[in-house]
Amino acid sequence: MNSITERISSKDEIVMDKVGMTYQADGGKSVAALSEVSFSIHKGEFISLLGPSGCGKTTLLRIIADLIKPTTGKVLVAGDTPESARKSRKYGIVFQNSVLYDWRSVRANIQLPLEVMRVPKPEWKERIDSMLELVGLSDFGSHYPHQLSGGMQQRVSIARALAINPEILLMDEPFSALDEFTREKLHEDLLRIWRRTNKTIVFVTHNIAESAYLSDRVCVLSPHPGRLSAVVDVDLPRPRTAELRHKPEFHALVAKIRNSFEGV
Amino acid sequence: MKTGSLLSNEKLIPCVWTIGLAVLWEGVAFILAEIVQDQMAGMRLPYLHDILITLFQNAGFLAGASATTLSRAILGFAAGAAAGFLLAIAMSLYSRLEKALYPYLLLSQMIPILGLAPVVVSIVRKAQIGPYTIAASDITRVIIAGYITFFPVATNMLSGLKSVDRDKRNLMYSYAAGKPTVYAKLMIPFCVPYLFTGMKIAAPLAITASILVDSLGAAEGIGYNLTYALYTGAYPVFWASVLCSAALGIAGYSVAAFFERICLPWKTAVQKKEAGV
Repeated sequence: MNSITERISSKDEIVMDKVGMTYQADGGKSVAALSEVSFSIHKGEFISLLGPSGCGKTTLLRIIADLIKPTTGKVLVAGDTPESARKSRKYGIVFQNSVLYDWRSVRANIQLPLEVMRVPKPEWKERIDSMLELVGLSDFGSHYPHQLSGGMQQRVSIARALAINPEILLMDEPFSALDEFTREKLHEDLLRIWRRTNKTIVFVTHNIAESAYLSDRVCVLSPHPGRLSAVVDVDLPRPRTAELRHKPEFHALVAKIRNSFEGV
Repeated sequence: MKTGSLLSNEKLIPCVWTIGLAVLWEGVAFILAEIVQDQMAGMRLPYLHDILITLFQNAGFLAGASATTLSRAILGFAAGAAAGFLLAIAMSLYSRLEKALYPYLLLSQMIPILGLAPVVVSIVRKAQIGPYTIAASDITRVIIAGYITFFPVATNMLSGLKSVDRDKRNLMYSYAAGKPTVYAKLMIPFCVPYLFTGMKIAAPLAITASILVDSLGAAEGIGYNLTYALYTGAYPVFWASVLCSAALGIAGYSVAAFFERICLPWKTAVQKKEAGV
């Protein structure tokens, strides 16, 4: 059997090899949240982790982010452990709730990673300005988070994640709390931002249409135990625009993804 | 405008209350003195206007006494708040310290301050620092005010440190931030509202503590006035001192609330939003 390092092709950014996560539940019973997930994500790729609740998609994202350690298997990020990837500041994370710091203005929130990571101070202003421009919030720099709508808060969260120019953007159901209209607008914006920045994006969602619209490939995860049941290539042309949502090939793809679930 | 009338209403309510209370006071005092013809009416409830006249006649004297009481309370408050703040951070850093210390903290609050103060009074001696002599009563006032401030500040701060949500900390973790950075940029700023909650509780308590020590063997201060006036039968002075101590307590709270508004601009706005103003 090949060792994991031999199987990595040069374009692979994140490699998962038989990644599993088992929790000790009450009464000594162990619950498998994730079982034997093996998969590779290419550099610059937009990947969705799609599945119902309990399928382990968020667990998998958190393992990649080094927020939790897997109980079995291994993850390599650019040939190294998630821990060293985190410590060398390769990740920008966008959480489900924007997780903005309430006491900081929009500008100061975007500035936070620059402060923590000791980016030279003269660079701050330009970086923050360009991030605000990127997410379309140039006029809202001095606002506080509570003065913004949910969609705007999530834009700030994306700007903050990108401010340090990370190689990988990890997004954990970032738009699930937003209304349909705001969400679709943010889809367009996210694709535009992705085109401009060429990040590798790992996007967790339970929304099939969302995963189809955004991704290059959709990883379909099924629950009990959480496992990878299919990887669906999304061969829809780019750049994608809102009209795509009405086209038959889009609906066919959504149906294809839906049919690839096991035991749901 | 609707908001305009709301605002003026809000300002109107305390005015109505104050005037109502004053009218009620004068009314009851009138009933006591003229209708019931109580011989002790001057002690039980003198006319408010008599007290106010006394207040103005003795303004300098009462202001001096208030300043004495207040300055010791402020010193004790500052020391107690600083100690409570630091201990809460230490306890959140070392859970063993919290487990070891918390029962004693709770226990310390079960000792009535009225019982503790005389003990401290009898222990503390005057101190000589360089050319300055600090009276034992001053040290006692600071200690008791600090002691009573410490607990609400420490417990509120600690509960704040424990309510920082997981993803806010995960964000710092993803930046590979060290403990000092996490505390400076996340934990402490997050807890400032909790700190102020503790301080707003503690501010009037610290003043109460200082007044209490005044009356336990100090030679000056509002508490001393209260006791002395009561013994000598100078009831208007007594009541004027009561008003002064009430004013000090309210002032203590208001100053803490004022600094809260300045320090937490985002929070004030949130509260306004929630209240629908």
